[in-house]
Amino acid sequence: MIKIENIVKSYGEKENKQTILKNISLEIKDGDLVVILGASGSGKSTLLNVVSGLERPDSGKISYGEKELTSLSDSELTDFRKNNIGFIFHQYYLLPNMTAEKNVKMGAELANNKDYGEIIEAVGLEEKKRKYPSELSGGEQQRVSIARALAKKPKVLFMDEPTGALDEKTGRSVLDYILRLHKEKNFTAVMVTHNANIAETANTIIKMQSGEIWEILSNESPKTAYEIGW
Amino acid sequence: MVIGIKNSLKLAGIAIMSFCAVFVCNLFLNFNLDLVRIESELTAEYQTIFYDAVTATGKVVASLSGGCLLLTSVVMLIFYIKQYIHSHSKELGILKALGYSNLKIAKEFWIFGISVFMGAIIGYFSSFLLMPMFYEKQNQEGILPEISINFNLILFLLLVILPSITFAFLSVAFAFVKLKRPVIKLLKEIPDIKIKKFTDKNTRSKKEASFLTELRKATLKSKKTLVFLIAFASFCFSSMMQMSFSMDELASEMFAVMIFMIGVVLSFTTLFLGISTVISANGKTIAMLKVEGYSTGQCEKAIFGGYRPIAYIGFAIGTAYQYVLLKIMVEVVFADFGETVDIPEYGFDIKAFIICLIAFALLYEIVMRYCSGKIRKCPIKQVMESGE
Ligand SMILES: Nc1ncnc2c1ncn2[C@@H]1O[C@H](COP(=O)(O)OP(=O)(O)OP(=O)(O)O)[C@@H](O)[C@H]1O
Ligand SMILES: [Mg+2]
Repeated sequence: MIKIENIVKSYGEKENKQTILKNISLEIKDGDLVVILGASGSGKSTLLNVVSGLERPDSGKISYGEKELTSLSDSELTDFRKNNIGFIFHQYYLLPNMTAEKNVKMGAELANNKDYGEIIEAVGLEEKKRKYPSELSGGEQQRVSIARALAKKPKVLFMDEPTGALDEKTGRSVLDYILRLHKEKNFTAVMVTHNANIAETANTIIKMQSGEIWEILSNESPKTAYEIGW
Repeated sequence: MVIGIKNSLKLAGIAIMSFCAVFVCNLFLNFNLDLVRIESELTAEYQTIFYDAVTATGKVVASLSGGCLLLTSVVMLIFYIKQYIHSHSKELGILKALGYSNLKIAKEFWIFGISVFMGAIIGYFSSFLLMPMFYEKQNQEGILPEISINFNLILFLLLVILPSITFAFLSVAFAFVKLKRPVIKLLKEIPDIKIKKFTDKNTRSKKEASFLTELRKATLKSKKTLVFLIAFASFCFSSMMQMSFSMDELASEMFAVMIFMIGVVLSFTTLFLGISTVISANGKTIAMLKVEGYSTGQCEKAIFGGYRPIAYIGFAIGTAYQYVLLKIMVEVVFADFGETVDIPEYGFDIKAFIICLIAFALLYEIVMRYCSGKIRKCPIKQVMESGE
């Protein structure tokens, strides 16, 4: 279980100081699929970055089971990410001078995963695995980044608008793939989006508004990627 | 428009190079030209012999250090412009997309020549400060009549104006060539990767290398000029340092110190420029590695590990180079004097070699420490956001 207690995060100094996360507390159950929903600028990405250990909060506590993230040193934090966390961003962040296959290998090697070929096949990139990111379409690049995250066999997968840069057709198929994998492998997934339709696929929906949690909803019957509107 | 004075300030490395080059060259060449003025006053034979020796060494030192520094400046300039275009490729792409011609954009790059001008002009005038002492030292035994310091316009034109214009022109020309990429490639920041046909065979026949090993190779391959720069920095260090040891015995302490200083400045600036570009060019890669959970040590190995053997190869070449060069110099410079002067023996200096090697290894590891500090500080979020 991920326990988040009284997180505060601000940017800027003195007059320019702007509090982005205002005392946020919540709990995420193991194996849950959580969607963080909110308008642009409401602090969704910031929350994701803080919870996943990419950034440190100004105050507050984040614990994964027994482990308290806020008390770890930088290198311990890196190690923690290595063993537990996977990331998918809407900007993909692939290594430009490595082929698709090598980009996936980057994640696989951290988990000593020798079978990453299967994942490449599963995301449908078998044919294109020797291509460089600049030779791939947006949807293909996103699938590479999904494969990279999954090859790491993460315990928690964080996604920041994973379908944000994709059209409806590719978006749906990428989302469908993520949802199916979540069911199959049973990891915890946290997805950020501003699209209320996508939120309907989650078990838990957290609505954010200007740095605060506005509402937490439980969804008894999550929809599939092809049942929602777009 | 795109390029301002600020960018050319970043070229401090080139300014330092041109400062050193002009400083040393003007010192020796101004002396040589002033010597010519008193040539008619020379009467005794020992005076002419001394005169010849002094002018010859002056020429050798000026062309050696000047040439070396000039070459480095050119390499650095080209490297810097390449880097600039690479890191600003989006902006430049937008300009091109809007309809600016290559030439119009390239013309802006003349500003890079300013760094040369700044270094050169400061070097030129500050060399006059050292000149009185230098003249006295060169004519310590009073063999030649008194030599007065004159301002030689030709040297000013040759050492300050000409290089500045040449470098400004070179910048424009090089930028023009580099900008001849399709707009879309600039906009999408598509790297120049040559798709090799043999990769398939290669990966199949060889045993699978680890990801970090492959990344190291790809990093090396993607920045060939950098490989050259690192090798060159080590080359300079090795040849200049070892040469300064021998110079102490062969010529005078002054040469030794001068060459030593040039060596240090050269290798430090090149190494520094090289390393900081590696970090900035691979910022996103480093950030991504860290996001996934690779440790600082692993990042360092993947990004910089490939350069270590290159550096030592550069060192070895530098050793051979200075040996051959000094051998030739001893023969040329001292050959004319025949019996009048004792020809110093010159052999390979093992002691100097070992000292330099140790100093080099230390220097390299110190710079690497500095790098891993930089990698550690590399802010994950900022780097990723700037990439959008
Ligand atoms: N590094 C930073 N420095 C200063 N302010 C920042 C920084 N990062 C984010 N912000 C500010 O924090 C606020 C929330 O940003 P955040 O990226 O979390 O929003 P978001 O909910 O993800 O929005 P979007 O849906 O547009 O991605 C914004 O107003 C932004 O200006
Ligand atoms: Mg966001």
